[in-house]
Amino acid sequence: MTEVTNIAAAPAQPVAAGSKSGRIRFGSPIAWIGLLVLIAAWIVAIQVFNIPAYILPKPEAVVRALWSGLAVSPTSPLGYYLPLWGTLSNAAIGFAIGVALGLVIGSLMAEVPAIERLVMPYAFALQSLPKVAIAPLVVIWFGFGDGSKIAISALLSFFPVLINSFTGLRAIEPERLDLMRSLSATRFETYRIVKLPNAAPFIFAGLDMAVVYALLGAIVAEFLGAQRGMGVVITQAQAVSDVAGVFAALVILGMLGIVLHAMVRWTEARVVHWGANRNK
Amino acid sequence: MVVTTARPAFRHNAGTDAPALIRIGDVSKTYVSASGAAVHALSLISLDIRQGEFVCVVGPSGCGKSTLLRLLAGLDAQSEGQLLLGGEPVVGPSRKVGVVFQAANLLPWMNVRENVRLPLRVGGVHAPADDRIDRLLAVTGLKDFGDKYPYELSGGMQQRAGICRALARDPEILLMDEPFGALDALTRERLNLELQRIWQENHKTIMLITHSISEAIFLADRVIVMSARPGRILADLDIAIPRPRTFDEIVLHPEYPKLAREIRGLLNAQENAHD
Repeated sequence: MTEVTNIAAAPAQPVAAGSKSGRIRFGSPIAWIGLLVLIAAWIVAIQVFNIPAYILPKPEAVVRALWSGLAVSPTSPLGYYLPLWGTLSNAAIGFAIGVALGLVIGSLMAEVPAIERLVMPYAFALQSLPKVAIAPLVVIWFGFGDGSKIAISALLSFFPVLINSFTGLRAIEPERLDLMRSLSATRFETYRIVKLPNAAPFIFAGLDMAVVYALLGAIVAEFLGAQRGMGVVITQAQAVSDVAGVFAALVILGMLGIVLHAMVRWTEARVVHWGANRNK
Repeated sequence: MVVTTARPAFRHNAGTDAPALIRIGDVSKTYVSASGAAVHALSLISLDIRQGEFVCVVGPSGCGKSTLLRLLAGLDAQSEGQLLLGGEPVVGPSRKVGVVFQAANLLPWMNVRENVRLPLRVGGVHAPADDRIDRLLAVTGLKDFGDKYPYELSGGMQQRAGICRALARDPEILLMDEPFGALDALTRERLNLELQRIWQENHKTIMLITHSISEAIFLADRVIVMSARPGRILADLDIAIPRPRTFDEIVLHPEYPKLAREIRGLLNAQENAHD
């Protein structure tokens, strides 16, 4: 056996908050023990400090609220299914738009220096702006319907994909470009065959962030005013001091976030099939 | 069917009046380094390589060997002088040239077959060539590895695939940039043997850059010894040892120690001049 320094060793890692290390392990017993300890502390704290239910409900009240939202017909106006569908579908459309725009503009920036110089300053200025603060403006422009939810989801998921695809496309090893040049490959061939696959781990790190941001964007937009969605479920429960109901909705959203993250990771493992072994 | 004994013992393209396939005339290369300083990589290099010749270039690290190869590959442009391939000036990457890179340079998201096929699907070459790929894989001992991914292969196997890929367009000239530098000694010798066989069967013109004196003598018809930067040609040595060569026999040939000593002396003088 001969071992050679793998040519695929990446010079830079994808920029993502908790990309590789943030992998969620469903099987870890310590995580489950931690959950049990947390719930036990929760119960004890309510007993010892005599916390009223409108501040912190008992776990069983949250479970009851969850059950009443889940154990109904999918079309029931009382269940979670319709609002969940409303939030998810808007977040998904926003995600698709944000990802498509982020990928296209990120690619143009990476490929055309003039576009990079034109867009980069504004991209960074917008990136450092808390984009949730734009949400009220977006509601004015797009109204209280699905449009504003989709727009804010798209806005929030756009940036991580833009920055990561730009960074990933620029992180190409010069030897790989030499290879394509030596073959007289066209610019688009080089992009499609070498640069894009090379950037895939970066792009997936961006998608991983974007999918959670899209959900966040839809919820925030619903807080500002909506007819349906999980954001509406939360604000309605809050209006009648149903704290257990707020907790239950948060549990649902938390689970949803985990599922979306897992879906991105699952897709990445299949698309970037060489990635797990590349630094072996 | 190739009968290697039918080959003339020394220069296999014996006619010395054969026109040079590669003609390098007074080529110099100066580039600006990242720190802004001008680097004289090559100084007035002149070299003719005939069709079918196997030329090895040795020299100290950073002497511009790779720069010379990049100029011939059309990846960089010379500052002065003239480079001709088959009588035509080099203005960019040429279809006549296949490049074998250091450490194979395979694309990790493609399996071996797809990697080898790459030259046949880009750059305006869109050839359906399954037969050709199969034959190349067989010639380089990769027949059963076509569906493997680079990370599943040893370094030696990866470089075989790199050679395969360089041969895909059936170029007249192979340019090899320290192709076996990262391999262990045994794998390296085995690939040297195979390269000799491939070269004898395919009649390519090869320029190979190496750090290894034994590799250079084993493979080459001519060894070019280069000086430290700015790279100049110190010696152009004919290796008059009959082929096919083996590592066991070549060290017993009376020419071998003389050549090795001469090359080592030239290189050592360079190292000392810099210390």
